[in-house]
Amino acid sequence: MLLTLLAVSFIVFAAFEIIPGDAAVSRLGSNATKESVEALRAQMGLDRPFMIRYLSWLAGFVKGDLGTSYSYNMPVSSMILEKLPITITLTIISMILTIGVSIPLSLLIAKYAGSKFDKVSYGVNQFAMAIPSFFLGILMSWFFGMVLKWFSPGGYISYKKNFGGFLSYLILPAIAIAIPKCAMSIKLLRSAILTEAGKDYVRTAYSRGLSTMEVLYRHVLKNAMIPLITFWGMAVADMIAGSIVVEQVFNIPGLGRILLTSISNRDYPVVEAVILLIAFVVLLMNFIVDVLYRVVDPRLRKD
Amino acid sequence: MLLSVEDFGIEFHDHDKPEKVVEGVSFTLDKGEILGIVGESGSGKSMTALAIAGLLPRKKLIKEGRILFEGEDVLTMERHKLRGLQGDEICMIFQEPMTALNPTMKIGTQVEEALRIHHTDMNDAARKERALKWLKNVELEDPERVYGSYPHQLSGGMRQRVMIAAAMVGEPQLLIADEPTTALDVTVQAQIIKLLQKLNKESKIAILFISHDLSLIRQISHNVLVMQNGHLVEKGAVDDIFEHPVQEYTKKLISAIPKVEL
Repeated sequence: MLLTLLAVSFIVFAAFEIIPGDAAVSRLGSNATKESVEALRAQMGLDRPFMIRYLSWLAGFVKGDLGTSYSYNMPVSSMILEKLPITITLTIISMILTIGVSIPLSLLIAKYAGSKFDKVSYGVNQFAMAIPSFFLGILMSWFFGMVLKWFSPGGYISYKKNFGGFLSYLILPAIAIAIPKCAMSIKLLRSAILTEAGKDYVRTAYSRGLSTMEVLYRHVLKNAMIPLITFWGMAVADMIAGSIVVEQVFNIPGLGRILLTSISNRDYPVVEAVILLIAFVVLLMNFIVDVLYRVVDPRLRKD
Repeated sequence: MLLSVEDFGIEFHDHDKPEKVVEGVSFTLDKGEILGIVGESGSGKSMTALAIAGLLPRKKLIKEGRILFEGEDVLTMERHKLRGLQGDEICMIFQEPMTALNPTMKIGTQVEEALRIHHTDMNDAARKERALKWLKNVELEDPERVYGSYPHQLSGGMRQRVMIAAAMVGEPQLLIADEPTTALDVTVQAQIIKLLQKLNKESKIAILFISHDLSLIRQISHNVLVMQNGHLVEKGAVDDIFEHPVQEYTKKLISAIPKVEL
């Protein structure tokens, strides 16, 4: 896990070495004289060789010092700590929507497998899966904001001021993020439910006098969810990374926003930190997925 | 008379041509009787058993005749009424104890399930007490431990005992056992047969015992039905069938039993 993070941090650093653009130039503007740029580069330590810069950044990171943002002139750690709750809340709402909607819907679709309802929902599902979240976000922003005027597009209330108001501004972006994931989830869960529904223990459950819905909820669901755990875990990591674009569409100042501005400003310390954070979340989700497997499936537990 | 099957038949409609898998089967089963059904695979014995338990799918097949349980037709009964019988009056155990239990649910919960549905007046403690009593009745050692276990922690024989306990917990009148020992090894097979005989004596439960194994059928049954290709070829008391078989097919089956010479 540490090795993975180390590799990711090195690749990000190297990528900035390769792509054109310079933090000093972007800070001073393109009209700055060559001398002043050189002076700033020296001051920021950008004139040092690549490996030295990487190692000194790494040394600071290990000590818990994420460095200072070039463009905002504030510690990276406090910037991230301020933005993190926004993105995390957005991800949590999206995840609750994804799981909360996909479970009852796929049970319903599975119950009527082969019917017209199943076929129609298959079509709708394919469609929902294919729409990128950001485009959905633009559509929703236009429809609910401009046409229905339920909210002012681009508006946002800080979670520090009014948590309820903050949540209400996150609902639409969360729906935009959740819809494609939910569609995918329904597709996987429907087939997992149908596979489980043909198993012997389901017939045993029917022989005890359970109704179809009782059989599905009490017996089939838990078993059908086992193959979905991996997908949901990956979905969380994907949502955090994917929120970058959706936050931009809805003008929400989360992690995605600072990542985008930092990339265009060549603000390495911030980019490094955000990307490492995303990599960390991916690895963490992998770990949580492994733990959840053991919780849900008793056969994997060690006695 | 507990059960009366009258001119029962099943016709499958899942292919282009309808296919009759069971036709014109009639028999009766009294309270406390053990009735064996013997036949090769494809003889329609399991289909008949599933029909009595109300477990045949409702689509893509046509059921003919009547299956009267205490005078009411299981085939045409409303579904909620049928569910009231299932697990309470009619119970079933299956061939594969390895897969017939839900792998992610504790044994205790599965054994208690019929009570949870049919005896809603019982509280948790009473249900647990009843479940433990039946786990003990099916001669499982350390019922408390089994109660808290998951299926994968038990052997095949133990799982079939658990299945029997889960079936008996509602104290039904009819237990349908569809090849209950086929997947088990011979010693365990004998124990399960003894257990079913004990339950029949003590609880006066009627058992419909389905097997392709004639020696098992002979050992456990009071009366026997012989089925072939969806038809009932012969029925009678166990000794009559085995000592004086009338039909050619029955004679052939009996002569095919391997004799152990000592």
